Amino acid sequence: MRKYIEIFKSQLQLDAAYNGWFWANAVASVIGLLIAFSFWHAVYRNTTQIANMNLPKMISYVVIAMLLGNYVSGVGNRLSESIRSGEVAIELMKPYDLLLKLIWIDLGSKVSASVRDSLPLLVIGYAFLGVQAPVSLAGGALFAVSAMLGVLIGTQFDLIIGVLAFWTVNVWGLRVLRRGILSIFSGALIPVTLFPAWLLHISEVLPFQSMVYTPVAIYTGAIPLQAVGMTLLIQAVWLIGLYVLVRLIWSVALRKVVIFGG
Amino acid sequence: MIRVEHLSKEYKIARRKPGLRGAAQNLFHRTYDTKAAVSDVSFSIDQGEMVGYIGANGAGKSTTIKMLCGILTPTAGEVKVAGIVPYKQRQRNARNIGAVFGQRTQLFWDIPARESFNLLKHIYQIPQHRFAENLRTFSDVLELEPLFGRPVRQMSLGEKMRCELAAAFLQDPLVVYLDEPTIGLDVSVKARIRQFIREMNRNRKTTVILTTHDMQDIEEICSRLIMIDAGRLLYDGDLRSVRQRFGNRRTIHFDLATPATDTGMPAQLAPWVFAEWEGRERVHIQFDARQTSASDVIAAMLQSYAVRDLTITDPSIESIVKDIYERGLS
Amino acid sequence: MTVWRYARLYLEFVKQVLKVWLEYRVDFFIGALSTIVIQFASLLFVTVVFEHIQQLNGWSFYQILLIYGIAATGRSIHLIFFDNLWTLGWQYIRTGNFDRLLIRPINPLFHLIADRIQQDGVGQLAIGLVVLIVAATHDGTVWTPINLSLLVLLILSSGVIFSAVNLFFATLSFWMVDSLPVIFATFSLSDFARYPLTIYNKGIRVLLTWIIPYGFTAFYPAASILEPAKFGLMALITPLVAVICSVLAYLFWNVGLRAYTSTGN
Ligand SMILES: Nc1ncnc2c1ncn2[C@@H]1O[C@H](COP(=O)(O)OP(=O)(O)OP(=O)(O)O)[C@@H](O)[C@H]1O
Ligand SMILES: [Mg+2]
Repeated sequence: MRKYIEIFKSQLQLDAAYNGWFWANAVASVIGLLIAFSFWHAVYRNTTQIANMNLPKMISYVVIAMLLGNYVSGVGNRLSESIRSGEVAIELMKPYDLLLKLIWIDLGSKVSASVRDSLPLLVIGYAFLGVQAPVSLAGGALFAVSAMLGVLIGTQFDLIIGVLAFWTVNVWGLRVLRRGILSIFSGALIPVTLFPAWLLHISEVLPFQSMVYTPVAIYTGAIPLQAVGMTLLIQAVWLIGLYVLVRLIWSVALRKVVIFGG
Repeated sequence: MIRVEHLSKEYKIARRKPGLRGAAQNLFHRTYDTKAAVSDVSFSIDQGEMVGYIGANGAGKSTTIKMLCGILTPTAGEVKVAGIVPYKQRQRNARNIGAVFGQRTQLFWDIPARESFNLLKHIYQIPQHRFAENLRTFSDVLELEPLFGRPVRQMSLGEKMRCELAAAFLQDPLVVYLDEPTIGLDVSVKARIRQFIREMNRNRKTTVILTTHDMQDIEEICSRLIMIDAGRLLYDGDLRSVRQRFGNRRTIHFDLATPATDTGMPAQLAPWVFAEWEGRERVHIQFDARQTSASDVIAAMLQSYAVRDLTITDPSIESIVKDIYERGLS
Repeated sequence: MTVWRYARLYLEFVKQVLKVWLEYRVDFFIGALSTIVIQFASLLFVTVVFEHIQQLNGWSFYQILLIYGIAATGRSIHLIFFDNLWTLGWQYIRTGNFDRLLIRPINPLFHLIADRIQQDGVGQLAIGLVVLIVAATHDGTVWTPINLSLLVLLILSSGVIFSAVNLFFATLSFWMVDSLPVIFATFSLSDFARYPLTIYNKGIRVLLTWIIPYGFTAFYPAASILEPAKFGLMALITPLVAVICSVLAYLFWNVGLRAYTSTGN
């Protein structure tokens, strides 16, 4: 455990530098917020309720979801790169579990990103865009738990795509595909409750809405407090299921590495 | 063919302050260090000459060549290549020149060498018959045939350099600049490349300017040497007088089995040699082969010391430059 | 004369690129397909929202689609033909490869652009055209040869504006070594252009019309066709904006080039 904590901390430091990319991403995020803000204001020009949500609720949902949506990707890219370059062979000889290491690195960079990137944007959201506070204190706390689960689910899914690099040459195409699927089904763009019924049914049996929609719906109160226990359970089941799946694919992949020598 | 008069180039290097505050300060107020890479260099080169342009690391060789190519604008002075000022009429100058920069490629990274050459044909508007003929002659000397199907990124250094050389001569240039064309190559590829350059010069009167740190390159290719040191012209003349002065110089490096107690030279050697100790177990002995022979030096040393190992070398370009710099060429 | 020569030369570059594409067929299809998926996601977004509303600030679904289609097509022109501008900093200047372009007897900007033709843009072009056709047949516009050729002209202008803005910011690489973050940040401004400019506040509208004219890459062209009475003038201005942007960007490029040749890298 100690080992992984160190990895986690070093990643925190790595990300601490403010460079050109930090500012570029900040500008892009602010632009994204402004577009969403203007778009939804225009949508509500002639209506007060959409799928039981009024404008302030929708804005809160969209802004929080946009921020949370930045965390559904992660180290999968790094894994597939090290597989492609063959570096993974060296990594495997080191005295730690590579998957756990990657997960801790992922958490480290996400913690630093949340302070560095998301916090300022959240402040902008509260101050200028009319984002509401969570429905209640308990709601806020449960949101934090649920968001954590959602991020971890995202990490596992990302790792699955990463491990597939052992089989496919072009992981990059898969990654774009993943991005497309997530932007539809995770709820990062739009609450899944706005979907037409058939699409909503599809979404409900997939793990993706657990990443963003579920936590943000807890935040806005769309999922009432008494139902939160159940949704957290569903998230936990998905997390465990995906983690087991990653492990499974990973061990099959390792057997392949041992047999073919990379 | 090439006229260089009082050529100088100063680089401005921005002094960067660290941290976010520093970055903000740099935005508004920058301070520069100037670094004179080439200072007041003049020479002229006739058509068909093969000139070695040599100097230590950082002497200003690449900087000069870049100015001759038109890639860099001089701070002061004037350059004319075939009547054209390169940095003023870069594209016209480009028609007359070919270049190889040993550290990086001139070819297209992703596409097979054959297609690379083909694109160059269109870029330089080389007539088809010249193109075909050139490619045929070049592949004879450089053995390009097996490389045609492969993109540059899949080639070894030596294979890449053979293609680079072909690309530099493909459009029948008047002048070719070769900046360290043999860096990192093995003996047989070096030999092939030297042969190719000599043949090009003999058959086509191509003017060649070559920078290198390999004395062998100079000996086999060039008839004239231009030496610079810290950006200043040090020597410009034929290779022969340099060779007369240094051609007989040898250095023998001795490794001793036990540390020497006395670092004096054996009496019979003392008048003829110059010894340089490195600690007490290593000594470099320099001498002129006309005054004493390697066998005498070795015999005398074996008598006085417990020698474990020894090597004999010719003088390096760096040591020649240093010598001329310190003592002149008289 | 020179134009003719460059056109022929460009064709030679294209031939090479096509050969590479054919060699990596699978990559090509995956690349094109994945961009289609991404585009599809944002289209789905608009569609879902319009399940719940009739119009957005007075614009109907198909009118929004027309804006979207013009933006996607214009952007794809930029992506396919001018994508290499993005790589100026880290692939050419930082590595010193830019010198290679300078010792060739052709225009270095042409050389840079011709060096790569991007396959991903093809997917974007495909989806852009499909959206355009769907929108054009449903948005109530009466199509005549005149406004159809106007549409083509406007889309070309859109592509040119995208490219000119990127050229301008890519040129900064001559001083900053790598201006990629700056290009990325300004390019994200173009996301504004996917929706009618009328939904934004005044500051943003001014910015996108007069400073970084992404408004002319989709909204003004679409509006001039949908509401010629109100926005017709903008249709006339669009090609002019494209020309002005290109000239400015090219002049700036030349300044950058001069800076490069006097400082080295
Ligand atoms: N772009 C640059 N900016 C600042 N200084 C530079 C730049 N390029 C070269 N210099 C400096 O100018 C001097 C001459 O460099 P140059 O590359 O011409 O040397 P060289 O003779 O080719 O050396 P080498 O044998 O190592 O290739 C060096 O001191 C170098 O540090
Ligand atoms: Mg050099």
